Amino acid sequence: MPEFERVAALSDIPPGGRLSILVDDLPSLLIRIGDEFFAIEDVCSHDGQPLTNGPVDQCSIACPRHGARFDLRTGRPLCMPAIEPITTFEVQVRDGEIFVRPR
Amino acid sequence: MLTAISSRTVAYDAETFESFLATRQEPAWVTDQRRQAFEVYRELLATELDPEEWKRVDTRAFRPEKFAIGTANQPAASFGTLLADRAEFGGIVSHVDGVCSVSKLDPDLASQGVLFGNLSDLLRDHGEILKPHLLTRGVKADTDRFSAWHAAFWTGGTVLYVPRNVEITKPLYSLIGLAAEGAADFSHTLVILEEGAQATLLEETSSASATASGMHIGAVELLQGSRSNLQYVQLQNWNNKVWHFAHQAGRVEADASLQWSVAGLGARLAHIHQDVYLDGKGATAQVNGVTFATDKQLISYYTQQTHNAPNTQSDLLYKDVVRDHARCVWRGMIKVAKDAQKTDGYQRNDSLLLSETCRVDAIPGLEIEADDVRCTHGATCGRVDEEQLFYCMCRGLTRSEAMHIIVEGFFQRVYDRIPVEIVRETLGQAVERKLGIGGV
Repeated sequence: MPEFERVAALSDIPPGGRLSILVDDLPSLLIRIGDEFFAIEDVCSHDGQPLTNGPVDQCSIACPRHGARFDLRTGRPLCMPAIEPITTFEVQVRDGEIFVRPR
Repeated sequence: MLTAISSRTVAYDAETFESFLATRQEPAWVTDQRRQAFEVYRELLATELDPEEWKRVDTRAFRPEKFAIGTANQPAASFGTLLADRAEFGGIVSHVDGVCSVSKLDPDLASQGVLFGNLSDLLRDHGEILKPHLLTRGVKADTDRFSAWHAAFWTGGTVLYVPRNVEITKPLYSLIGLAAEGAADFSHTLVILEEGAQATLLEETSSASATASGMHIGAVELLQGSRSNLQYVQLQNWNNKVWHFAHQAGRVEADASLQWSVAGLGARLAHIHQDVYLDGKGATAQVNGVTFATDKQLISYYTQQTHNAPNTQSDLLYKDVVRDHARCVWRGMIKVAKDAQKTDGYQRNDSLLLSETCRVDAIPGLEIEADDVRCTHGATCGRVDEEQLFYCMCRGLTRSEAMHIIVEGFFQRVYDRIPVEIVRETLGQAVERKLGIGGV
């Protein structure tokens, strides 16, 4: 199983913020909701283009182009036009540093 | 043993540009051209890329600062190539990590005035022949940041010049290689055929190892005078760690014909901006593409067939096979100018998807301003038919043998359009190897 990789410092994202990172060379998105962190591959499974600026609401992110929504915890598609899940990564916070494990 | 070119990062800024210029010994007009291109490059870096061309091409993981232009002190690596040993060539030009390592031309061709060699040297010795053609009407520096970057930093490349009415029957060979880890190559291929000239150029790109990452910011210019015939093949066969961005332009004058074949097998991400211009009455161009993308590759083509004169013909056929999590994008356009009556333009893209997780985007387009033309386009896309597989397996083939036959049959229509036999064989074997089928 791959090791956790350090991607950012806790101070790099304020609560409610997000950060573009690379996980295993894949463009990904680190999102902070309160003190919980989520890491997803930054690609909408519907049209293959970035989710980067999609609105985040109640632990889900919406694609800014056609409105597909994904659960941030599991990557599950929540509404059309998405029918495939997106990849999510495990996140750990240790001593003020954020770590993500690639798949 | 491969050594890394540089372990520090390289910014392609003014300082790097000036130190790069200091390593070149070039006529003043070349340096001026580079300086202008560098200005354009810096400007274009601040502007967004054209979304129509780039929105399906994800370059977010691309880090240009990790790739450096090599110096002439790099040892020449030995190369496994697909084409080099397959035929007797009339000339061979090889570049490794941007530096020319081999340049040979048959004396009887040289005596007829044919030039075939390395751009850097030929510019010094035959500048007056090449100056009107280099980065003027073919690839333009201001098209986008990649063409400007190339125009400022081109490292060398293969030049073929064929004088009026000279017909070269033996094919010529050009190799663009990447060896060291983190190497950058900015090769420029320039082909100029005067009126009535004829030639065949086979070009191949290759990585010395399966693991060294690299970057190719290339350009190809094919400039044909009237009644000339050119067959040009580019076999892109990098390993899966190379970033490949290329601008390619062909300009065909009256009654000349261009037969252009491209194969996309390697690269982590390849984006080819390919333009063909039919500039004279009766000009024809046939463009063929074979792509086989696997793993997590992204191979993208942005093609254009522009008809600027009447009675011109273009015929584009791209076939892709995609597997695993790979992605292939093809955005094609046929443009017909107002006076280009009796144009016959055709473009077609067929895709075969071998897995549940791969993806193809095919977008053909037409922009027609004349009113007496025939323009056709089509795109097809599908999975391998399970019934076809079952049919083959019932007759004693294993599943993988059946898959092989189906993929080979799929590509056959494009192979048949390529008249150079060694290229057909080479492509067939390269695809077979990549499919993981057959002997070594």
